[in-house]
Amino acid sequence: MDNASHLSVIVDLSPTQWHLSSQSDNTHPLSLKDFLSQLLAFLNMHIASKHENTLAVFGAFPGKSVMLYSSTDPLQHNRTIDANSYPPFRVVDYSVMQHIMEEIDALGEPEDEVPCALVGAVTKALCYINRISHPSTSSNPADNPAVLPDPRMLILSVSPDLSTSYIPIMNSIFSAQKLKVTIDVCKIYGPDTVFLQQAAHLTGGSYIYLERRDALLQYLIMSHLPPPSIRNVLSVPTQDRIDFRAACFCHKDIIDIGFVCSVCLSIFCKPVPVCTTCRTKFPMKTLQRLNASRPPQTLTPVNGSTVANGSAIGTPRSAGTPMAASLR
Amino acid sequence: MPTRTADTTSNAAIESSPHALLPFLQSQSQNTLTRLYQRPSSCLSIFRLLASLERQIVMNLLWLESSIAVATMAAWVHRDHKKLYDSALAILSRLHILPNSAVKLGLNSTFKSSLRQAITGGGTSGSFGVPSQKDDRSSWPDVKTLDGYALERWETILHYMVSSGTGQQPTKPSQDVLYLLQRSQLMTNVRGSALQITSAGFQFLLHSPHAQLWDLLLEYLHMAEERRMDVVEVLSFLFMLSTMELGMEYSTENLSQTQQAMLVDLRDYGLVWQREPSSQRFSPTRLATTLTSSSPPLPTSTGTGAGAQVQGFIVLETNYRIYAYTDNPLQTAVLNLFVSLKYRFPNLVVGSITRESVKKALENGISAEQIISYLTTHAHPQMHKNVCLLHICISQH
Repeated sequence: MDNASHLSVIVDLSPTQWHLSSQSDNTHPLSLKDFLSQLLAFLNMHIASKHENTLAVFGAFPGKSVMLYSSTDPLQHNRTIDANSYPPFRVVDYSVMQHIMEEIDALGEPEDEVPCALVGAVTKALCYINRISHPSTSSNPADNPAVLPDPRMLILSVSPDLSTSYIPIMNSIFSAQKLKVTIDVCKIYGPDTVFLQQAAHLTGGSYIYLERRDALLQYLIMSHLPPPSIRNVLSVPTQDRIDFRAACFCHKDIIDIGFVCSVCLSIFCKPVPVCTTCRTKFPMKTLQRLNASRPPQTLTPVNGSTVANGSAIGTPRSAGTPMAASLR
Repeated sequence: MPTRTADTTSNAAIESSPHALLPFLQSQSQNTLTRLYQRPSSCLSIFRLLASLERQIVMNLLWLESSIAVATMAAWVHRDHKKLYDSALAILSRLHILPNSAVKLGLNSTFKSSLRQAITGGGTSGSFGVPSQKDDRSSWPDVKTLDGYALERWETILHYMVSSGTGQQPTKPSQDVLYLLQRSQLMTNVRGSALQITSAGFQFLLHSPHAQLWDLLLEYLHMAEERRMDVVEVLSFLFMLSTMELGMEYSTENLSQTQQAMLVDLRDYGLVWQREPSSQRFSPTRLATTLTSSSPPLPTSTGTGAGAQVQGFIVLETNYRIYAYTDNPLQTAVLNLFVSLKYRFPNLVVGSITRESVKKALENGISAEQIISYLTTHAHPQMHKNVCLLHICISQH
């Protein structure tokens, strides 16, 4: 028998973005209601695939993240059973919808909407995956480490990049790599997000930009339903161009050319005399040279050029190279 | 850069043998299968029995209104795994889920609409079981009762088999069960006297409970054909049971004549629990609800015997001495098939595998591979080093 798999779905539920997405001036308007019905069908299909498949659903709301459903501690509702539907499906549908309704009702006025807590939801999902893949001996001794569900995460994103969350996102990516979690991203509305592209790329998942939103379910099934073992046989689309740009630590802006501290690898958008992270002082001479080598501010930099923030270059390069310059 | 699941393991998972029921389904006529596919619960259960690649192909095609060109689908297939893909398509076409065609791929329309209905819910088929109305007089059976019942029934059957011919007089299962065991040639009637276990029966005992259950049910299906029961009704009832919720009571009112008759048989096997034989309600046990999964069909919480069965209880030393931490008479009896038992304590049985004991097992028709696989599947978690075991068994041949 093939192994069971675990799927954690993270749903971006930003009211503003969903409102924009449902406007009829889009080529393919998709309202939250239509989206949820397709999402529930997708979740049911994941559970249908195998009895042992586990599922967790997290919602990212403005300023907070909530676990909407998890198959290990399901919500005990009144257990009304309908002869026409499979009981586990009903539990998922009911639980997800119920929680979303509660959270949306509890939302404040639309004027003071804070950005979505996507990172919070990702972190919660990682914690959850960590918990189920390393069951403590006391809770369930019968669990055999050989039959661990192979974990995946699917992020359904509608909000644009939040550059302040660069560092937490990168940290989650690294912990996902460590847990061997594959992160899939489906961008349903809005422009491509740089950070999620990197998340999918670095964890071996697939990043899909939804071109036809009316075919959402088919996109989800074809590219996000198959577990990794099937992806070797039926290939899934991957990205051919990935935006590797990073955000600077000082202003949280996404930058084309950055300056990297040679001690702690912090990224800055302009040369600084003292690293704000590790307090290293840089020689004045280097600073002057780096400042001189910066392209004039009026000139827009080449789009899409990458910052080699990981390759700590020992000595400053000659002037004019569009490369990361080290601050020492 | 994280690595994907290693190729070798994933291939092994994909190439693992298909479910025991699938050949039976493939042997049925298209007409029978189409009738079976009319029920959403049957579609869902059959879908689960398929291998993962086949499931993904079905999923990809499920929500498409029109059929797509074969080439379009084939374009997604990785070149190295073309063979796997082709064999998956062949299996699906033999099940009449995906009609074989050189040009277009499209699911069987009955299967498609039923599986869609299973996933979205709704409709009026009532194929997932009509729950009984809760009344005040009797509460629902708790899971523990059901587990206990299933375990007791199942072990009665196995224990009867293993101790036949040893002179012991264990509790007899019902006449129908005995007939089934005899028909499946797991047991045979020796010269008009009591039933004797056959070599096939010995092999059967060493299988996993899940495989044992399906072996018996397959035999039941063949018998149903002979009895002129409607195979579609038998199968859809089994599939309905497998999608039911443990610990719930369902009403018998919507069952057909055939299915009412099946209830009696399934009660003997421990798949279904009823308060009293004439009751209008029934509850599936864990044996039934795990039919289409690979989770352990026998309860894990009741008693040390069953718990150990899941966890593994056998410690084998390099001098072929065996320590089995069990007080379950069934497990002891099974061990007795190929081990010469020395001492018995509460919760511990000590024996040794000797030349004679293995020879005895081989004469009974148990193969060395089966002994090894039994020992490895039930090995104590602390023991993972019985490589040298292979040596003695082969030398016996």
